[in-house]
Amino acid sequence: MKKALDFVVEKIVFICGIASIIFVALIFFFLFKEGLSFLKDFGVLKFIGGRFWYPSSSPTLFGVLPLIVGSVFVTIGACVIAVPIGVMTALFISEIVPKGIRDILKSLVELIAAIPSVVVGFIGMITLVPLVKGIFNLPTGLTVFSSSIMLAFMAIPTIVTISEDAIRSVPWQYKQGALALGATKWQTLRRIILKAAMPGIIAAVMLGIGRVIGETMVVMMITGNSAHIPHSIFEPARTMTATIAAEMGETVRGGMHYKSLFAIGLVLFLITFFINFIADLFLGKNKNT
Amino acid sequence: MVDKIKIESLSCYYDKKCVLESLNLNIVKNEILGVIGPASSGKTTFLRTLNRMNDFDITYSRKGNVYLDGDNIFDIDAENLRRRVGMLFAMPIPLPMSIYDNITYAPKRLGLVTKKVDLDNMVESVLRDSSLWDEVKDRLAASAMKMSGGQQQRLCIARVLAINPEVILFDEPCLSLDPISISKVEELMVELKKKYTIVLVTNNVKQASRISDRTAFFLMGKLIEVDKTDKIFVSPKEKKTEDYITGRFG
Amino acid sequence: MIKLNPKLSQKFSYMFLCLAAFLATTPVILIVFIIIKNGTSVISWEFLLSMPKDGMRGGGILPAILGTLSIVSCAIMITLPVGVCAAIYLNEYAKDDIFTRIIKLAIINLAGIPSVVYGLFGLGIFVMFLKLGVSIIAGALTLSIMELPVIITTARSSLDSVPYSFREASLSLGVSRWQTIRHVVLPNAIPGILTGTILSIARISGETAPILFTAAAFYVPHLPHSIFDQVMTLPYHLYIISTQIPNMPKNIIYGTALVLLMMVLTMSCIAIFARIYFRKRRKW
Repeated sequence: MKKALDFVVEKIVFICGIASIIFVALIFFFLFKEGLSFLKDFGVLKFIGGRFWYPSSSPTLFGVLPLIVGSVFVTIGACVIAVPIGVMTALFISEIVPKGIRDILKSLVELIAAIPSVVVGFIGMITLVPLVKGIFNLPTGLTVFSSSIMLAFMAIPTIVTISEDAIRSVPWQYKQGALALGATKWQTLRRIILKAAMPGIIAAVMLGIGRVIGETMVVMMITGNSAHIPHSIFEPARTMTATIAAEMGETVRGGMHYKSLFAIGLVLFLITFFINFIADLFLGKNKNT
Repeated sequence: MVDKIKIESLSCYYDKKCVLESLNLNIVKNEILGVIGPASSGKTTFLRTLNRMNDFDITYSRKGNVYLDGDNIFDIDAENLRRRVGMLFAMPIPLPMSIYDNITYAPKRLGLVTKKVDLDNMVESVLRDSSLWDEVKDRLAASAMKMSGGQQQRLCIARVLAINPEVILFDEPCLSLDPISISKVEELMVELKKKYTIVLVTNNVKQASRISDRTAFFLMGKLIEVDKTDKIFVSPKEKKTEDYITGRFG
Repeated sequence: MIKLNPKLSQKFSYMFLCLAAFLATTPVILIVFIIIKNGTSVISWEFLLSMPKDGMRGGGILPAILGTLSIVSCAIMITLPVGVCAAIYLNEYAKDDIFTRIIKLAIINLAGIPSVVYGLFGLGIFVMFLKLGVSIIAGALTLSIMELPVIITTARSSLDSVPYSFREASLSLGVSRWQTIRHVVLPNAIPGILTGTILSIARISGETAPILFTAAAFYVPHLPHSIFDQVMTLPYHLYIISTQIPNMPKNIIYGTALVLLMMVLTMSCIAIFARIYFRKRRKW
């Protein structure tokens, strides 16, 4: 009886354990199934290399290039802002402030992650967008620049938390050694700790990128959603995620347009898979040192 | 003299590395068998094989057989074996619950005792047997984590007694204790051998000489010599044994 | 290049770091402040407990609140047991081999998939393939798969923080593996699992993209009857009224954002404080 229970439990937890593999496989399968039949009909090269996304004109054009460029633009913009701020904040939290303030700052950072993206989008729409429009004297404030700022804000928790872990897991002997040699605390931080924590910080940045590239609601609300390749960061653009979210409602289920959105999903899936894989490699490296 | 445990050409390995080599040894009923030897001599591996705690280590493998009252321990159910062959660790490990719950934990899970009255009686009797009753009888509901190290180790003994084992394995039980607690635990072991068979692994040669009936000396995974304690300590047959117990190495 | 005195350069750098921390953390306070300031005026029982009117430009947000609550509670009921069991498998039973590494890689990968891709997947499998339609259950299933890696990771680290010696002590008494997990490991891991679960609930309450095509409806004139109904949800409702409806009164948008934000932040704060409390009280 007791034996039987142990046996059954072991089987149940095993099935739950492999559920993750099954789900990844299923997700890939469903994206692949719809995406592939689209790519077969439309052509891979025309999809990847096409410069025009006109899903409802005639003839329909499904060039994903402007969407990829849009995604890349906002991601780079967000990183340029979020990476320095995030890493510096992590340093500040983990090495400089006393424990009490550290706990408060960490909780605040955690609260950022809790704010729903649609709320961030709404706030960006109502505060930042008019501001950008006014300051830079633009026809519209819905630009790559505005969404980069809001996305940077959303990527900061990821970057701060993981960098902080990496910085804190640097063995204290490193620090002691440098300090004992007469280095100032800042020299120690910059030359020793930052260097030792670098794999973890790179992983943090990768995961931050993953977070930004997958973000949907914010970019849909404040990037302007125009599917042309932007020439500067003060122009509207449209990302892959926003395209899926905005257009799925209008498609005919099972039609060409519907399938094309799955093909975009497949591209996103592969990009994030790659990013997470790299981040995991760096995280593993950090653990071994 | 009845043999309680018979060990026949037992060899143990971690990965491919042999840590215990073709061991033959009998453990007599109601004796204290002291096992001494320097670090990495295979003592602990030997002990953890006797109640199959090594099963959880996936790098572990073994050859040979061990018989408990004639039953091959590798053929019988491991959980049942561990009930019959209790174990104490180097560090006292109370579970994070009350003193009372620590003792009743295993009997309840194993279905040995179920009624509240029986449980109460059992708790009192094992606490008396481990000479802890007077110290804790008024705070059985207090957390076991708050006791002193010596008390915790005696609680762990009480916890083992509660499952009513036949053999008790002590893995350097006094490693982390102060001298007064050590003498209490030693007295307890001498008391316990009336009812139980005891195997005591220790780094402390003097401890073995004080309380064990027979002593076995392990070196580099081999049993060098086993004999009556006074013989081993007065006139060992092997040179290596003599070197070790007189403190020339180890 | 001018070489600064090390002491001075330390001072400057610290100022920069402090500025960065300030830039990273003030926006969240600002956002909360703006929403509370502009949203409080519309909050009333009537706003919380009545149906929308005049094409959403008036009335309340009750269906959206109920929709979010029903989807989130369904999702967590699905994901919690599966996630905890998976964590138990990985932490207590799995060997350290290639197969386990694949599982871990799958979990990391699941955690990184964009939420809108989960939406696509949910649409493909639950809405279309399993013919559940756009419904609470389809949305809940989608969210539950999305939240699975988070639950597994937090549950695993809670299980992992229970010292191995406790397991050894229990096993050495002849207690079986599952009983050891059930009576020694799990009780000591529950606080961590609980805080992780609350954080997860907070997170999925605010998700929009995964339920866009699987559960959410623009407007439903009645409250949800069964798990096969389409529903309005708070985040989607906020999206709709802030982008799709012309001449929408601003204070209602702020009010809706306030309700959503408060729901999410309250749960997050509870989780953060619970974690601090449990850490202090830990027995080992």
